[in-house]
Amino acid sequence: MNIPILSILIFLPLTGAILFIFIPREKSNLLKYLAVAVTVLTFLVALPLYFNFDGSTADPQFVETAEWIGYGINYHVGIDGISLLLVILTVFLFPIAIISSWTSIKDKIKEYLIFMLILETGIIGVFLSLNLFLFYVFWEAMLIPMYFLIGIWGGKRKIYATVKFVLFTMFGSLLMLVAIFFLYSTYYKASGVYSLNIFDFQKLILDPGVQIWLFLAFALAFAIKVPLFPFHTWLPDAHVQAPTAGSVILAAVLLKMGAYGFLRFALPLFPDAVQKFLPLLAVLCLISIIYGALMALIQKDIKSLVAYSSVSHMGLIMLAVFSLNFEAMEGAIYQMLNHGLSTGALFLCVGILYQRSHTRLIKDYGGVSKQMPVFSAFFLVCMLSSVGLPGLNGFVGEVLCIFGIFKSSHILAALGVLTIILGAAYLLWMYQRVMQGPITNDKIKSFPDLNKREIGFLIPIIIMMFWMGIYPRPFLRKMDASVTHLLHQIKSRTSVSASIQKEEKELKIKIKEDKTEELKEKTNLLLK
Amino acid sequence: MNTYTALYPILTIVTGALLIILLEVFLKKEKKDYLGFIAVLFLLASGAECIKFWNKGLSYFEGTLLLDKFALFFFLILILAVIFITLISLKYLSLQNADHGEYYSLLLFALSGMMIMVSSRDFLVIFLGLEVLSMASYALAGLKKNDERSSEAAIKYFLLGSFASAFLVFGIALLYGAVFSTDISTIMNFFHSETSLSLMALTGMAFIIIGFGFKIAVVPFHMWTPDVYQGSPTPVTAFFSVGPKAAGFAVLMRIFFPFWKEAINSETFFHILWILSVLTMVVGNLVALRQKNVKRILAYSSIAHAGYILIAILAGDNSGLLFYLTVYLFMNIGAFSAVIALSRKGKEFLELEDYSGIGFRYPWIGATLTVFLFSLAGFPPTGGFLAKFYIFSAAVHKGLVPLVIIGVLASLISVFYYLRIIIYMYMREPTRNVEIFAYNPALFLVLFLCLYGVLMMGIFPGNILIYIKQAVAALVF
Repeated sequence: MNIPILSILIFLPLTGAILFIFIPREKSNLLKYLAVAVTVLTFLVALPLYFNFDGSTADPQFVETAEWIGYGINYHVGIDGISLLLVILTVFLFPIAIISSWTSIKDKIKEYLIFMLILETGIIGVFLSLNLFLFYVFWEAMLIPMYFLIGIWGGKRKIYATVKFVLFTMFGSLLMLVAIFFLYSTYYKASGVYSLNIFDFQKLILDPGVQIWLFLAFALAFAIKVPLFPFHTWLPDAHVQAPTAGSVILAAVLLKMGAYGFLRFALPLFPDAVQKFLPLLAVLCLISIIYGALMALIQKDIKSLVAYSSVSHMGLIMLAVFSLNFEAMEGAIYQMLNHGLSTGALFLCVGILYQRSHTRLIKDYGGVSKQMPVFSAFFLVCMLSSVGLPGLNGFVGEVLCIFGIFKSSHILAALGVLTIILGAAYLLWMYQRVMQGPITNDKIKSFPDLNKREIGFLIPIIIMMFWMGIYPRPFLRKMDASVTHLLHQIKSRTSVSASIQKEEKELKIKIKEDKTEELKEKTNLLLK
Repeated sequence: MNTYTALYPILTIVTGALLIILLEVFLKKEKKDYLGFIAVLFLLASGAECIKFWNKGLSYFEGTLLLDKFALFFFLILILAVIFITLISLKYLSLQNADHGEYYSLLLFALSGMMIMVSSRDFLVIFLGLEVLSMASYALAGLKKNDERSSEAAIKYFLLGSFASAFLVFGIALLYGAVFSTDISTIMNFFHSETSLSLMALTGMAFIIIGFGFKIAVVPFHMWTPDVYQGSPTPVTAFFSVGPKAAGFAVLMRIFFPFWKEAINSETFFHILWILSVLTMVVGNLVALRQKNVKRILAYSSIAHAGYILIAILAGDNSGLLFYLTVYLFMNIGAFSAVIALSRKGKEFLELEDYSGIGFRYPWIGATLTVFLFSLAGFPPTGGFLAKFYIFSAAVHKGLVPLVIIGVLASLISVFYYLRIIIYMYMREPTRNVEIFAYNPALFLVLFLCLYGVLMMGIFPGNILIYIKQAVAALVF
């Protein structure tokens, strides 16, 4: 068992990308097949992780460590119940994303594939890093390929969108970097050893006042990535302008990195600050849910409708995360996977439509299902999965989320349900306007139905949607231990620092009492 | 061992410079390239001398010439910088009608000046080195005799440079009046021990900071930089942005390294440098936003980088500073080399508009320039990120959190204009016919070496850090 499986997983796509530099750009078919081969291979490498993963322990598994730069900067990767499923989701979607851009990306295909592969390395690296330096390197490095993917192969306002995306994300992550420095320095001062290991930082007991600032820095970085209202404005631009595969990856995986960041860093590291900010965060989540859904209702562009639906759905996921109980947490992680699948699939469907008509406006469509019956079935399933129809994956996740939220607050749960209600409204309405009714546009009459390639890349997603909707147990059981451990950590550490504070207060009171007694005695003496 | 052996590294350079002037007379115009190769030979010889001295770490002439590891480290990176500059100049000079043989000897003279600066503990000798450097620099800036901008650069540099030198000399004189010494360690001991300083000593120190602030282009002493950088021939600009800056910081490190820890009087200077650092980062980056000429963008970016490096001085993070300077050397010379690569006979492509679509037309130049720009912007996994990481983390460790927050936000601003060049290169359709002279092996060698350096220092900085640690350890008085 000494195969460095995680390192292979991280660096396999990168190796592919480097290899691609030396293949002439004229051989575009070779490049495409090779890219699919590399991503499928990465997926196959990840499969044994899933099967060999021991769901009964919360410790990171398949851990690899190596000396790197020193001063606490080490190569340290590992996987636990939370990151496992997100990694699987990533490697599952990448081959699909690449196959989906088979014909839609015509020029500069070589560079496109190189950036896709680098992006995959970056994302997997983020999920697997257990050293904060390593994590930050992947977190930032991943921006570069995404920047190019949107900026080169994007739509009309691609430059605006991509610059906004990079600057927003960097703003948050640079402040997080300062917070990381602070932790780094605090740990060194406390223990005399340099470390950037997450587990070492979790042992630190920080002053609640300091925690607030550190938590704000971390939370800002992750809230921008999720994105929570009011940091979401980069998302519709980036989504609408990105090429289909870019949108798929962005919605399915990149947004999850924000939520993952909360689970992995912000919550366990600063439990006291979390308690303090919970109401505020919950309100932001609620606003995201309702605002995102209302914005989705009025969108004229299908792609930005799906983009705003992401804001709304991610709001629910984060609301569940902040409920800090077992059901909600599991639901949130499960819902992350579901959202990845269903929103990814919706973007793929929009991409299929766009490729045929070169428009994304809802009003240009109508009655497409008559012309494309197979497609309409696929689209319907994806749409219903996003709505949360029982039997499909979205239902399980949403129900778990709502259950969990209900446990901690009835009002929040009542309002959180709006995600589902409004979600049904805008998605069904969109489906009705685009797919049903009479054919309004003559162009639609020339639409070919799905070809084999398109059916090929949609089918795995559909299968997963049913599987995860009908039999979610194997997925949920993988994360049980990790989620329990995470919650335990947040709760116990809060109580530790709370008890310390309590002791301090008691001490102070005692001292005061002592002093008053002394004073009394003195006054008594004087009186005598 | 004969004391004079300590002069070998510097003497080798000076000999090379003189020999080149002599040979220049006898060489035909087409063969001027040979002079460049001769310069490289002498540079390599001098570098070999430095390596030989590495473990000896001696001081000669009563501390006026120190060959400690600190000085030798700077010798080596400066020599490396000049080798790079020489190589990227070879074709450039004949393409831009500036092929004067004196060029190489001026470069070597400038290098010898910098070597004197970094290897001395005596203000007068440092001043001497600075003047040798400056004289050579003024001539280098005006190398394109028939180009108005180049002449403008030379005159501006000369006038403002003389001012700065005057400040420096005056500062040294005032300090001498207060302390009766020009030796840095004596002066700094004086600052440590006196409880209240005379106005004379304070003014003297302030003037010295101004003098060096000019050389390292710190706001508000940066006014000359953009014009000089834009007007000078591009390889010379690359040299200005790296060499004098490194030498200036070396002197500042010698002055301030022992100063922060326990000095009673450090407060005043600490605040002054704090403000200078913030101004430099913010102004440099903000003004760069509006530039349309790539050379000017890089000029302002180099101002901003001086601001980041000042943070390292404030944090007392000497190894971080050396690391930053080393990475900066590779990424900045690399970026300028890519800019030089985009030129043809009698024409350089320097407007942002010229860069439209370059990334796909010249994929190698575009890709390397992209890496350098990302490194300058501080993206991982390049050296630029790690350099900023060290400096900022050391500063946070020292409790300079507000300064670091300003620093990271300033570097966020810088991301915008670095990305803008990339946007032009990759995300816009070509609008102009940019036909370049592509056969330039020496320049591509430099591009490759810089790329290697930037990536290596970003991913495996271990080896270089060992030497930097040794160099810094030698700085203790």
